[in-house]
Amino acid sequence: MGTIIGDMPIFCVRNLCYAYPDGIQALSGVDLDIFSGDRIALVGQNGSGKTTLVKLLSGLLAPGQGDVLYKGKSLDGEHLNNSRLNIGLLFQDPDDQLFGHTVIDDVAFGPRNQGKSGKAAALCAKQALHRVNLEKLAYKEPHNLSYGQKKRAALAGILAMEPEVLILDEPTGNLDPGQEAVFLDLLKAFDGTLICISHDLIFLYELCQKAVVLHHGSIHHNYTMRELVSQRSALRDHGLDFSFRMTIPAIEMPAHEENGKNGCGALSDADAGALNNPSGPLPLVRLENYGYVYPDGTPGLQDLFLHIHEGEKTALVGENGAGKSTLLACLCGLRQGSGDLFFKGTRMTRKRHKDLWRRAGLVFQDCADQLFCASVKEEMIFGLRRLGLSTDECRHRAAAALARVGLAGFEKRVPLHLSGGERKRLALGCVLAMDPDLLILDEPTAGLDPRGEEQLMAILETFDKTLLLVSHDLFFIEKLTHRTLVMHQGRVIRDLPTPVFMQDDKLCRFNGLSFSYRQRTATAIRQLQHEHEHRHPHLHIHDHTHRHGRTVHAHPHEHLHDHPHRFVHTHPGGTKTHDHAHRLVHDHDHPGHEAEPHDHSHE
Amino acid sequence: MLLGRFMTDLQYIQVPLWYLPLLVLIPAAVAAGVVSWLGRRARTRVVPENDPDWSVPPLTQGRGQGTSLIHRWDVRCKILTMLAYSFAVASLRHLDAAALAVLFSLAVLMVARVSFHKVMLRLAALAGFMGMLLVVMPLTVPNHPGDTIVVFGSLDWLGVNVRGGILAATIAAKATAIALLMEPLLSTAPLPMTLYGLSRLGVPDMAGQMVLLSYRYLHVFTHEARRMTAGMQARGFAKKTNMDTLRALANFLGMLFVRSFERTERVFDAMQARGYKGRFPDPGQLQLRLSDIFIAGIWVAAGTGLVFFDWLKG
Repeated sequence: MGTIIGDMPIFCVRNLCYAYPDGIQALSGVDLDIFSGDRIALVGQNGSGKTTLVKLLSGLLAPGQGDVLYKGKSLDGEHLNNSRLNIGLLFQDPDDQLFGHTVIDDVAFGPRNQGKSGKAAALCAKQALHRVNLEKLAYKEPHNLSYGQKKRAALAGILAMEPEVLILDEPTGNLDPGQEAVFLDLLKAFDGTLICISHDLIFLYELCQKAVVLHHGSIHHNYTMRELVSQRSALRDHGLDFSFRMTIPAIEMPAHEENGKNGCGALSDADAGALNNPSGPLPLVRLENYGYVYPDGTPGLQDLFLHIHEGEKTALVGENGAGKSTLLACLCGLRQGSGDLFFKGTRMTRKRHKDLWRRAGLVFQDCADQLFCASVKEEMIFGLRRLGLSTDECRHRAAAALARVGLAGFEKRVPLHLSGGERKRLALGCVLAMDPDLLILDEPTAGLDPRGEEQLMAILETFDKTLLLVSHDLFFIEKLTHRTLVMHQGRVIRDLPTPVFMQDDKLCRFNGLSFSYRQRTATAIRQLQHEHEHRHPHLHIHDHTHRHGRTVHAHPHEHLHDHPHRFVHTHPGGTKTHDHAHRLVHDHDHPGHEAEPHDHSHE
Repeated sequence: MLLGRFMTDLQYIQVPLWYLPLLVLIPAAVAAGVVSWLGRRARTRVVPENDPDWSVPPLTQGRGQGTSLIHRWDVRCKILTMLAYSFAVASLRHLDAAALAVLFSLAVLMVARVSFHKVMLRLAALAGFMGMLLVVMPLTVPNHPGDTIVVFGSLDWLGVNVRGGILAATIAAKATAIALLMEPLLSTAPLPMTLYGLSRLGVPDMAGQMVLLSYRYLHVFTHEARRMTAGMQARGFAKKTNMDTLRALANFLGMLFVRSFERTERVFDAMQARGYKGRFPDPGQLQLRLSDIFIAGIWVAAGTGLVFFDWLKG
């Protein structure tokens, strides 16, 4: 809980309303107190008003109606200018925030605006860069950093200002689990007031104590993080139920389990044999001694031998820069490397390579890169037209694909104005409509809220053709694929059944997929979600001051209550019953109990 | 009859037809090949074996980089002097004076020890323009009395005007001399410092800030455009000469504009959130020393000398 200093909240929001110039009412009647030291998760579905609220809290927008008070004063004039120097706002896309010529120039920007001299600001910047472990890249240009480095550099730019309040908008968006854990540690070390927008409740659970749930521009709940995650019905109402992620079925160990326990060595003989088995069925995709070198001489892919059979669901994992995206680009004809690529047994010559898009459909990580038409209908038909289909066939396929991805009736909508989840499904629908033999998904869950993830999962579970999934999301990998290819430095170094890969924590960590904190948090949340669901009689033995008529006294006593109660226990699953008899007598807080009538006997 | 009148004023040199490939086609092909090779080489980023040490400013790294006379020169003096010198070079009318200017620029490059790779990139960008001048001008320049025309064999219609060739070479040499100076001008101080110098010389702050942000976000927008192009190609888009292509390109440009505009708004928000009030903090302090003025003096004297030499040539 937050520490209350002088009972005055650091932010006091009263009857706040805000409408955008196009008339969209983003917030209405918001009342909120935030105290110094609070760690607040701001959650809600896409479009619920979270970003608008933080923009109002940081003074980037002026309230349409109502007040936003920071330290007791309205955010305007000189107070606004001063407040901005104490309120750090981390944007979702680090490229929005890194406008400096070099990383250190950018990080020093805030301190310079705080009135520090060039030397003092540079010192602050260096310290902040040291905190985020980027001091060795201080003079690099921001556009030459990796995405994770950019995120940390942007955070350093805020930390260098030593803000009292840190506001974060999707801090872990598009980060791999390894980088996410680094970010989590950095934010845990921040000792000021923290307000964090995220769809990732597992991450928020580790970071925040309070949760504010926004729904259609109003605050629906304002309670502790534990209360939020433990109430599945409330989570589901707000499209935040991520519990489906925690219901992975028990893993069946396949026969060649040992392969997965060898760590990160080269491809084993058995694997290599399986890959090159000429007597097996004709693979859909076959790469023989395939390589790709970037124009600057950097090797992207090296000595690649790979078979993907029809109907196979394959995951492609590897650290950033391992060559995953390059491989995808080669498979769908965007790049052409050396060596042989066969599709259904046909060698892809230079001419045929240009037609690979007809056979392999790619859904990009950022679906905005893929959507450029003025309406959903045009977007759907764009690829179909290029397949040379008749107008009727185009219309028929587009309608079927839209229905399949749950966007029927969206034909006239503008893709740019759809929510993140809808856009992702539209991009998927555009590709599915073209009926590719191979569907390639590049980080499909990036930027989706839990409801969007669940919808996407439901669509993909019905997909019965060949799937190649590139993801850092171990849940999706486990749920959707049977086989996992591990890439490292442009080579496939492991080809394993997915269950074997999932059991090898060492291999997961090696590929930047360490999810130990997520596992830990998921377990804790699972327990919480079970704790509250029980209402049953309890026997209490306790000692407190209570009243019998006119007599007020205190002594240990025992009596029976019926009220909701939390404790950790296991569920057998399904409709099987379970009991809590062994825990029937216990000790716990019972607020307000002193005022209840006590009619036990006194001996 | 017209030819006859000119015959009295023009000097014709008749050479055998096989001189055409020897004197024109082969050198032109070799020059085009060399320029193209240099351009490709310049555009191919060489991956260094060891990543540079980014914990120190790049200008202080490398073989004496950052310690040259040009690096230490006050940025305001540098801008003013090079600008004035560039105008002087642009005013030259004779090839030998322009060639001297190229030599001077090469000497400056040696002193400044700037990246040869980047210099080549700049020249590669100019090569097409200069090549076109060298090819077209000898053939199209109006014939003046006293001009020398080279005729290959019986190809009377293909008279190569030597004056046109010299004129093209002079223009190319002047352009090269000025282009060679761009690297010492722009790479011997951090860009924010150069823009700060411009601002101190009276250029509006806003212009400098726009250049700085444009430089940063050009990379971001280029990446976005590339990703969007890949998104179109992945669904079968190939440029053709038809309305469908035009419509797709219009959508592409429109979306790129919308995304760029939205990003601009977010960047401005991010700047405001960190205390931006219309002005970037000064990147450092500028101090004019006697040595700065001395270097400027020598440079201006060199420019004046070139102009005088050119004037002497008539």
